[in-house]
Amino acid sequence: MQITEIFSSQLPVGETLSIKRSRFEPTKKYDSLKRISIVSGIHGDELEGQYAIYLLSSWLNKNKDAIRGIIDIYPAVNSLGIDSITRGFPLYEVDLNRAFPGAEHEYLPGQVVHALAQDVKGSDIAIDIHSSNIFLREIPQIRINKEYSNFTLPLAKELNCDFIWIHDAVTVLEATFSHTMNSMGTRTLVVEMGVGMRLTKEYGVQLLSGMLNLMQKEGIIQSREHFEAREPFLSEVGEVFYLNSPTSGLFVPALDHCAVIKKNDVIGTIVEPLTGEVLDTLYAPNGGILFTLREYPIVYEGSLLARIFGETDEKN
Amino acid sequence: MKKIEIAKITSLNRAPLIIEGYLFEGCDPEAPSIAVVGAMEGKNILPLYTASKLVDFLKNNISGKESIKGDILVIPSINHYALNINERFWPLDKTDINMMFPGYALGETTQRIAKKVFDVLQNYTHGIILENREDLSSCIPYVKLFQSGFEDLQGAKLFGFKLIHHKELTPINTVSLQYNWQLWGTKAYSIVCPNENQIDINSSHEIFEGIIQYLNKNRIIDYKVLNGFESTITTKEDVEIIKTPKSGIFIATKQIGSYVIKDEMIGKIVHSLNGEVIHRFFAPSNGMIVCGYKNALIFEDAVAFRIVKSGS
Repeated sequence: MQITEIFSSQLPVGETLSIKRSRFEPTKKYDSLKRISIVSGIHGDELEGQYAIYLLSSWLNKNKDAIRGIIDIYPAVNSLGIDSITRGFPLYEVDLNRAFPGAEHEYLPGQVVHALAQDVKGSDIAIDIHSSNIFLREIPQIRINKEYSNFTLPLAKELNCDFIWIHDAVTVLEATFSHTMNSMGTRTLVVEMGVGMRLTKEYGVQLLSGMLNLMQKEGIIQSREHFEAREPFLSEVGEVFYLNSPTSGLFVPALDHCAVIKKNDVIGTIVEPLTGEVLDTLYAPNGGILFTLREYPIVYEGSLLARIFGETDEKN
Repeated sequence: MKKIEIAKITSLNRAPLIIEGYLFEGCDPEAPSIAVVGAMEGKNILPLYTASKLVDFLKNNISGKESIKGDILVIPSINHYALNINERFWPLDKTDINMMFPGYALGETTQRIAKKVFDVLQNYTHGIILENREDLSSCIPYVKLFQSGFEDLQGAKLFGFKLIHHKELTPINTVSLQYNWQLWGTKAYSIVCPNENQIDINSSHEIFEGIIQYLNKNRIIDYKVLNGFESTITTKEDVEIIKTPKSGIFIATKQIGSYVIKDEMIGKIVHSLNGEVIHRFFAPSNGMIVCGYKNALIFEDAVAFRIVKSGS
């Protein structure tokens, strides 16, 4: 394992900002090595990727002889943000995942994303691990832009996630890491799992198995271990139903995350602590799996409370 | 003058956010109309102040009802919640309202706010958005116009500011108010205001007079003011970017808006712990400093100055 600083910048008072990469390579020489890059911490409040990457680097350290390709890991792209519980790039308040591809001559956040994109460039595969945000809990899922789904869907199925969400191309998303890397020829997947500012250990273990399975299939590792890859459900076979808050208040969920629900099941209530009133009761608009559930209870009108994946014509 | 309620968002613990517009109905139905949007962010102090002064002017200072020809809507503030606690974006989820257009009635809170605001802004002939730079710099007041294919570059000259920045459109700009407003047929412009926590009266007057001049030249009001500048249209090729090779304490020795000559010293960096001057900035060409870093502590490689080049 070799640790490299892919970007550094001297901060004003006695500190250096540093973005680091670890590279794992085979102990022996092999021809035409494939390269995979695994990235996390583009958002400073998302930590699930830190744990999944820790598990991966720990496995690789114990299984050096299994390595047949180049495995680059970038655990903390927004390193200043991670250490200060800040989603965007501190001070600039810039969402780094809306700042790609960046440029050498841009402001500091633009320089950081440019350095990352240039370093990952040339990889055969990239995985960008996110944790939703502090507001929502998500089951392990892959988000795929329809524009690149022919190339990325087969890879996504190997990642041992529960759900693959193929979404339409949106212009604003062209400023993301995944779009930038896909347009540069690196097949890139976005993982969303868990919740911001927390670790969900079982999801980390689940994704580790998926990453190892994908690497095994792609010939980047060669191991006798069996890595689980569960069959994900695809967004194309059903529909995603959104439940936004009709009013502001305190959201109290009535169901557990990941529950299989029926149409009109109570998802939760919006309450007013000051008066003891129930302001609204939220019912499932459709049956299916509750794959997104509000974690942060303060809501405004419009705040996302839940997402359900179900069959469109489901009769309950 | 009519005060109209554009949107109302309740909160669990704060008083409701009520976004209001001040509508001045013109006397000539044939005259063009205009809407002016003030603070969308919580740090938009000069946009807030300038928009509120415009309300005061239209209500109390313009002589006689006949002077207002076309309808004028002024929305001084959209994001009071952020302004009141010195947050930049929507305080709960930190989303930027100016990245939510054209909005979505069934979406997240800031998408809903954008939708309600955008609905009211439809069908105005002209539109002005008062904003600040997105980076950590301040600037002379200027017009920012995206190269969207829908922009009216000649119309931007009617403000009489020294500078019009004809800016390349990036994917992120496609969700801004300016772009969407233009897409829906309004001649929309952003006026970029100096980024200060205190009110700079001179800049405020300059912006205010620019708006009055624009209203007058488009026959929305009948109120003559002295002509402004013959604006210079700039693109990135016209601008020298001066970055700092070292981090530390940044001291500008030339003010924003100053003309400088090549090799003139314009600023320095002082080591933040031992006090030594570790870098001096010299103007790479003749021109005007149009933007400068606004914080005392500066990162390595941050842009310290932007100079619009002059000369042949």
